[in-house]
Amino acid sequence: MPTLISHDTITPISQDGWELAEVGAPVNGSRRIVPVDDWRPESGDGLHLPGDAEPEARFSEAPLIAINFANFSDGRGLSLAVLLRTRFNFTGELRAIGDVHPELLYYLRRCGFDSYLLPDGRRAETALSTLAPYTDYYQASVLEPNPAHRRIRRFA
Amino acid sequence: MYRYDSFDQKFVDERVVHYRAQTERYLAGELPEDEFLQLRLRNGLYIQRLAPMLRVAVPYGTLDSRQLRALAYIARHYDRGYGHLSTRQNVQFNWPELAEVPDILQDLAAVQMHAIQTSGSCIRNVTTDQFAGVAADESVDPRPYCELIRQWSTSHPEFDWLPRKFKIAVTGAGVDRAAVDVHDIGLVVYRTDDGEIRFDVKVGGGLGRTPVIGKTIRQGLPAHHLLTYLEAILRVYNRYGRRDNKYKARIKILVRAMTADGFRDKVDTEWANLEGSPSTLNDDDLARIEAHFQPPAYKSPPAGAEILGTQRLEEPAFDRWLKHNVAAHKHPGYAIVTLSTKLTGVPPGDVSDVQMDAVAGWADQYGFGEIRISHEQNFVLPDVRLEQLFELWRKAEAAQLGANNVGRIDDIICCPGGDYCSLANAKSIPIAEAIQRKFESFDYQYDLGVLDLNISGCMNACGHHHVGHIGILGVDKKGAEFYQISLGGHAGNGASLGQIIGPSFSREDVPETIETILRVFLDRRLENEPFLDCFRRVGMDPFKERVYANSD
Ligand code: SF4
Repeated sequence: MPTLISHDTITPISQDGWELAEVGAPVNGSRRIVPVDDWRPESGDGLHLPGDAEPEARFSEAPLIAINFANFSDGRGLSLAVLLRTRFNFTGELRAIGDVHPELLYYLRRCGFDSYLLPDGRRAETALSTLAPYTDYYQASVLEPNPAHRRIRRFA
Repeated sequence: MYRYDSFDQKFVDERVVHYRAQTERYLAGELPEDEFLQLRLRNGLYIQRLAPMLRVAVPYGTLDSRQLRALAYIARHYDRGYGHLSTRQNVQFNWPELAEVPDILQDLAAVQMHAIQTSGSCIRNVTTDQFAGVAADESVDPRPYCELIRQWSTSHPEFDWLPRKFKIAVTGAGVDRAAVDVHDIGLVVYRTDDGEIRFDVKVGGGLGRTPVIGKTIRQGLPAHHLLTYLEAILRVYNRYGRRDNKYKARIKILVRAMTADGFRDKVDTEWANLEGSPSTLNDDDLARIEAHFQPPAYKSPPAGAEILGTQRLEEPAFDRWLKHNVAAHKHPGYAIVTLSTKLTGVPPGDVSDVQMDAVAGWADQYGFGEIRISHEQNFVLPDVRLEQLFELWRKAEAAQLGANNVGRIDDIICCPGGDYCSLANAKSIPIAEAIQRKFESFDYQYDLGVLDLNISGCMNACGHHHVGHIGILGVDKKGAEFYQISLGGHAGNGASLGQIIGPSFSREDVPETIETILRVFLDRRLENEPFLDCFRRVGMDPFKERVYANSD
């Protein structure tokens, strides 16, 4: 079973309310997350994007965007997330799906993700224990738009 | 030099805890080998042919005596009593135990050091001129900007999972000692006539399988915009760099595919959205970081020039050492000393714990406690008083760090090669040794001048053979070790890539072939002409003709 971590806690899939729809797949009462070709801004559907997708302004109307990580060391989804959050002002839920690695959630989090679907076999305990391995970071991020030296007195 | 504040210290301390937990999860079987690999690589830990190899970051090649003593301790305590100076100004240990690495990191953190991002597909340790801050030909001290880049790139949320490794080099001097033309990003920093600090930005240079000279995509970038402009470049690379083939994943391939103009347009479009964002540096930021690199309390008036004159006459070897290993300093009365690790029979860059301790001691005694590591794999003492050079030279000689061969044929850049590296086609260290043996006295006899000879054990080019005036590359010929020789490469100003002379040579034939090449050079050379200039003037043909004269 995959594990969903949402807002820093394990959330039972049954309470999630979202379902990843293959094209034409049954909906089962949940709200659907659909690929970009099937998605319309007014539909209320979630949007499923591959890591190399080009972000568009209309995507900001989606209630949820799921970005797929083809493998856990593929950082393209991180840049896509940053662009959606900072350039297109996407304020809905941003979810990491695909080959999401529990050790790497702290990167994802700082790029603006707020939920993570860990694939089968990946340890949710590790994910929760390493969400914030560092108290603070040097550079700006989606979570903290000011670099450390702008927030606290540094280099002194 | 830069000293950690409580923020930096906390970060490296937390890094130790974090990495220790990752190691424990791996040892407990919770983290599979291939997944742990990506994590340990981002902490400089490779598994080599014989054992793990830990690469410790020496930010832009600068360290102090306390840090060097800590490295000596690590060499003694966790390793076999030596370490290795790398071509990227870092220090590597070849025999640590995987389970002990967290303890090593803890010892490093105690002296403001770490191994963060010294390998893996991320932004690597930024490198610069080993004479930064003291070189007589420097217009802007690059170190404050290197430090800003170090901090900005450390655990960057978006750029730690790039298509491939990413290397940034900075130079601020007339002579480019940082090889900015062959880095993913090369930065040239200078001051305009009205005192503004500006950067020229080159991208897409690199060695490896596809050597390329970088292209300038921005001139005159104001210092305030340095980090946001880097962010724009990295974002374009992270999104569009190839990930399907690791040999085509470096930024140079992307720049070539998009063309330099196309790449520049993409970066400029991205940067238009970032210009002025909170990562923009203001005057106060720049002033505070520059304050970390104020010159030490140099003594005046200058003395020592006359004494040197006498000493040089009395000791020809000292005279040679002064000519080759001692460079001009910004401040009168001082000199920059390069301590060569290139002693015949010792793998280039290898230094023992005893030597590290000795160098640390000299840094305290003859300088202000600071040491540099050059990409030619030598130690540098940046602030030595002229009248103390002779005494230092004597001690360096006794510690086997006094070879007077900097920039000469036996100051060889050489990768670990087949003795250590699992990717090697051929050994490189024995080739270096054979050449050193053969040409040490040859150089004395003929005064060959400046000659960069670089050796790589395979086409990954860690020994920078493409930019050696003479480059040697290990190749595999039906399972046997062969060596391809190239001429005319150069890493500094006006960088060029070497041209292959012809079919490759067996190991036994390499030294003799080099001798033939040098004989052609000596025949053709104008008075005191350096090898590179001579080669550029006469071209490949005379070399080729003589080298292959006896073959059919
Ligand atoms: S050039 Fe090849 S043999 Fe030498 S260290 Fe690099 S990968 Fe290993």
